[in-house]
Amino acid sequence: MTAVIFEVLYAVVGTVAFSLLFSVPRRYYVSCGLIGGAGWLVYSLLEVKLPPEGAALFATMVVIALSRIAAVKGKCPATIFMIPGIFPLIPGAGVYWTSYYIVTEQLTLALQTGYEAVKTAVAIVLGIFFVFEVPQRVFKLFGKD
Amino acid sequence: MAAENELELKNKSSVEKPGENEVMETALLAGHILLENGAEISRVEETFDRICAHYGVRSGNAFVLSNGIFTTVGDDRERYYAKVQHIPVSAARFHRVAAVNQLSREMETGKYTVGELREALERVKTMPGKRNITQIAASGIGSAAFCLLFGGDIHDAAAAFAVGLVLYIYILYVSAPHLTKIVGNIGGGALVTLLCGVFYLNGFGSRMDYMIIGSVMPMIPGVAFTNGIMDIASCDYIAGSVRLLDAMLVFFGIAIGMGMAFTLLNAFGGGALL
Repeated sequence: MTAVIFEVLYAVVGTVAFSLLFSVPRRYYVSCGLIGGAGWLVYSLLEVKLPPEGAALFATMVVIALSRIAAVKGKCPATIFMIPGIFPLIPGAGVYWTSYYIVTEQLTLALQTGYEAVKTAVAIVLGIFFVFEVPQRVFKLFGKD
Repeated sequence: MAAENELELKNKSSVEKPGENEVMETALLAGHILLENGAEISRVEETFDRICAHYGVRSGNAFVLSNGIFTTVGDDRERYYAKVQHIPVSAARFHRVAAVNQLSREMETGKYTVGELREALERVKTMPGKRNITQIAASGIGSAAFCLLFGGDIHDAAAAFAVGLVLYIYILYVSAPHLTKIVGNIGGGALVTLLCGVFYLNGFGSRMDYMIIGSVMPMIPGVAFTNGIMDIASCDYIAGSVRLLDAMLVFFGIAIGMGMAFTLLNAFGGGALL
C-alpha cells in the first residue's frame, strides 16, 4: 500500500511537470496533478485483478470524467486537464521493449510487447470515447456548488 | 408594434452592427490561436460560430483542418468575403487556449465590441509562455517522476532527471528550430538512449529500461494523440487521422532512434547491454 501511495505521488509530480511543459495556466496545476494521481491510483488498484488494458480503460475513464468536472468548475477547456492527466497511463514501457526486441532480433517478443502496447493504447482511446459521449449537463451537476 | 420593433432592430443594427469583414477577421483570429496552440477542431469551429453569431453575422462558415482554416461569408444580405489561412502545427500552449476560451465566455455577456475583442485576441496571440529554463527544469523533474513511477530507484531517477534536462535543451535549441520533425524525433530517441547507456555502462543506475522510459516521456506526443482521438470522436475524421498519423510518426521516430542507439551502444559498449 505504501508503494501505491508513493507511486501516486510520483504520478502527481510528473503530471504537474508536464502540464507546465504544455503551458497550462498556473491556477490549474493542482487539479492537473490530482487528476493524474487519481488516474494512476485507479490503475494500480485495478491492475491487481484486471489485465493492464482493462485497468487502463477504467483509469482513463476516471481521468476524462474528472477532467470534464474540473473544466466545468474552472470554466476552461477539458483538454487542459486530460492531456497531462493521461500521461502516466501511456504504455511507454511497451514502446521501449518493442524497439529493444526488434533491434535484438527477437521478433516474437517484439510482436508480443508491441501488441500489448497497442491494446493499452486502444483501451485509452475507448476510455476517451466512452466518457466523451456523456452529455455535458451531467458534469454541470457536479460543477455546481 | 411589430413594425416598431423591426424599425428599432433596423436602427440598432445600423448603429451597432459591425462589418462582416471585421467580425470574420476576429473570428478567424480566434480560430487561428486555438488551432495553433493545441485545441480540438470542434472547439475551433464552435468558437468561430459563436463569435459570428454574437456579432450578427449569419452566413459565416468555417471549415477547419488540423493545419488550416477555410472561411467564407456572404448571401443576399451580407457581403461576400472569403479567406484561407494556413496554420502550421506548433507546440501546445494551453494558456492561450484557455485565454481565448475565457474571452469567448466574456463576449457572450456583451463585454466587448468586436474591435475590443480583436485587440484582446491580438494580445493573447503573443502572450508569453513559460521561460525556456522553466520548461527544461519541468522536463527533468517530469522525467525523474515518471522513471520512479515505472519502477526505477533513486539513482535511475537522478540519471533520468539529467537526461530529461539535456533532452529538452536539445528539443528547444536544436530539434525545434533546425530539424524536421521526423529527424528531430529520431535524434531525440537516440540521444536519450545513448545518454542513459553511458550512465548505465559507468555503473550509475540499476535499470536502463526505467531510465530510458522515464526520460523519453517529454517527447511522447500526448497532445497530438489525445486531440486526434477527440477529433475522431466528434467525427472530424480528416483532422483526426492527420493528428494520429503525426503521433504515430513521433512514436516510430523515437523507436527508430532508440534502436539505432542500442546498436551503437552494443558495438562500442562491449556488448554489455544487449
